Amino acid sequence: MKVLAIARTNLSRFLRDKANIFFVFVLPLGIVFLIGAQFGGETSNRVGVATQEDEPIGVAIIAALESDDRVQVSVFGDEDGLLRAVERNTVSAGVSIPAGAAVRLAAGESVDVGFLSRPDGFGPQLRAIVDQAVAAATSESAAARFAIEQGADPAAAFSTAAEIVGSAEAIMVKISTTGDALFEGINGPFDIGASSQLVLFMFLTGLAGSAAIIQSRQLGVTRRMMSTPTGPAAIVAGEALGRFLVVLAQGLYIVAATTLLFGVSWGDPLAATSIVLVFSAVGAGAALLFGTLFKNDQQAGSVGVIAGLGLAAIGGSMLPIELFSDTMRQIARFTPHAWANEAFAELFRRNGTIADIGTQLGVLSIFAAVLLGLAAWRMRKVITAQ
Amino acid sequence: MTERAVLEATELNKRYGDLHAVRGVSFHIDAGETYGLLGPNGAGKTTTIAMVGGLLENDGGQVLIEGEPMTVHTLDPRRKIGLVPQDLAIYPDLTARENLTFFARLYELGGRRLKDRVENVLEVIGLRDRADDRAGEFSGGMKRRLNIGIGLLHEPRLLILDEPTVGVDPQSRNAILESVEALSADGMAVLYTTHYMEEAERLANRVGIIDQGEIKAEGTRRQLVQMVGERDRISITANGPLESVVSDLRALSGVQDVGASDGQITLLVEDASALLALALETVAKNGASVSSVVVEEPDLEAAFLHLTGKALRD
Repeated sequence: MKVLAIARTNLSRFLRDKANIFFVFVLPLGIVFLIGAQFGGETSNRVGVATQEDEPIGVAIIAALESDDRVQVSVFGDEDGLLRAVERNTVSAGVSIPAGAAVRLAAGESVDVGFLSRPDGFGPQLRAIVDQAVAAATSESAAARFAIEQGADPAAAFSTAAEIVGSAEAIMVKISTTGDALFEGINGPFDIGASSQLVLFMFLTGLAGSAAIIQSRQLGVTRRMMSTPTGPAAIVAGEALGRFLVVLAQGLYIVAATTLLFGVSWGDPLAATSIVLVFSAVGAGAALLFGTLFKNDQQAGSVGVIAGLGLAAIGGSMLPIELFSDTMRQIARFTPHAWANEAFAELFRRNGTIADIGTQLGVLSIFAAVLLGLAAWRMRKVITAQ
Repeated sequence: MTERAVLEATELNKRYGDLHAVRGVSFHIDAGETYGLLGPNGAGKTTTIAMVGGLLENDGGQVLIEGEPMTVHTLDPRRKIGLVPQDLAIYPDLTARENLTFFARLYELGGRRLKDRVENVLEVIGLRDRADDRAGEFSGGMKRRLNIGIGLLHEPRLLILDEPTVGVDPQSRNAILESVEALSADGMAVLYTTHYMEEAERLANRVGIIDQGEIKAEGTRRQLVQMVGERDRISITANGPLESVVSDLRALSGVQDVGASDGQITLLVEDASALLALALETVAKNGASVSSVVVEEPDLEAAFLHLTGKALRD
């Protein structure tokens, strides 16, 4: 009852501060959006087609793709241009039509149509759309039109076209990938930013919350609580629960909002919720510990931001841990961020379940227990010594 | 002391390194009694209160709240005390009602009783109209009243007020003093620390003069004044046979000394209020006519000066 009263008051005071609303609920989504835009954004449904202007098969594939509302088409004069565009993610996938494809088809030869995409991003998802377009473009009408344009008798052209369509399997779509995949298994451009920023902001919010604990002490409210029939353990638990609820609320909000707004797929809901819960405890422990280490909230705020951003950087929340050297990867494992990011990566990229992230959850639980234990010891000491 | 005092502090001691902040302080407070702990800043008042309130471990001595020992580890006796700290201890970003509700929960109130007590306290401290305004928007006096209100939520047997009127405007100060008088009249024991002489004189049934961590003297105002040899003074301006008047007045019981010059008679007495009527009757009986009377009762300032060797506001 008393623990809940202290926690509820913490939460209420937190939500009353408009700056908190911005930093906790608005800013993270903004950052996720920006990162998502950098990793793909509006290029996600753009397909490039490399073909010669007078290549009927190319024209037909472009027409088929343009008739599909799900994609936008960019035309390239040569395959090199298309390749660069795919590598730079200007287009998510590319279709390369060899010169003379229609003529070769008419001659009964097989034709290789190239499909280019990055291993990450939306390319693989566009493959089905491209396949449909290729099939449509090489259908009977397209072939017949070609024959007619070449001066053939229309009846003979359609007759011939029927034969060609009958041998449509002569067109082979050869799939090539270009560039290295940083994040295997990522479903969308917002997935990476969502999980790393979730971890960064939850921890940062926790540390920022230490200011409220210090303010309570400075205001004399903590000491006054001690004059009521409320023991130090209840006060410590109440303050910890208050911080935990704030961090948890932010974590769940980011998960829900990024799912709804950006289509982020967080994987197994139970596993994702478990990570958020345990990491909230880590954040609460850090907040409580910081709240006992500093005498005023300005000190705690300054050091908190540095520590929060520093640990996030080391733990792979700013730059993907995949880009780290081996040494830095080892160092990263001393931060809770690295374990949380790794756990989310397991869910995102390998469709992991809660069973697959047992180690990460275990390590995060140890982080939480150590931080909360240290913080409780320090806080009890501080409030009874006031 | 009645059969069981609400508060009984015995031989309290507290040291901070070489500083002996509180030295053998003992006092008791009965139900319905207001005890004033009077002393300059740094005298040991707040340290004493912290030990009485179970917030500070003592280095010796004992505190009993209605017979129950109060230490930093005991929770039960805290249900019987309401501690109002010298510095404001409220959340400025919560409303008055939210502040009261929060602390009411810590005092283990709930449901209907919690709501009733919060409303009652808002009424007592005169903040009902501003109940839903944030405390940070209040004037200094209103914040003080809210600070006091928190200590009243659970209807404590003992209310401890540590310099509750510091920095308060005269109107709010008077409201606070009236509230304390009313609470005491309702049977609440009150421990009131102050360095304002007039507050101690107005509120306290008994006063403990504390300086350098020691209770120098304790008693009612009159007892303290008499303890240091100070007397009430009655000055009567009269016309007529003053020599016979002086002679008769000197014979009255309770009169310490009588002098007369230039038509003015000056009496030093133990209790001016008890003797005044008799003195005037004596003057009239001797055929003298009184044109003016001035009664001067020595205040605690004089007693304090005598006991501590310094003025209270030094």
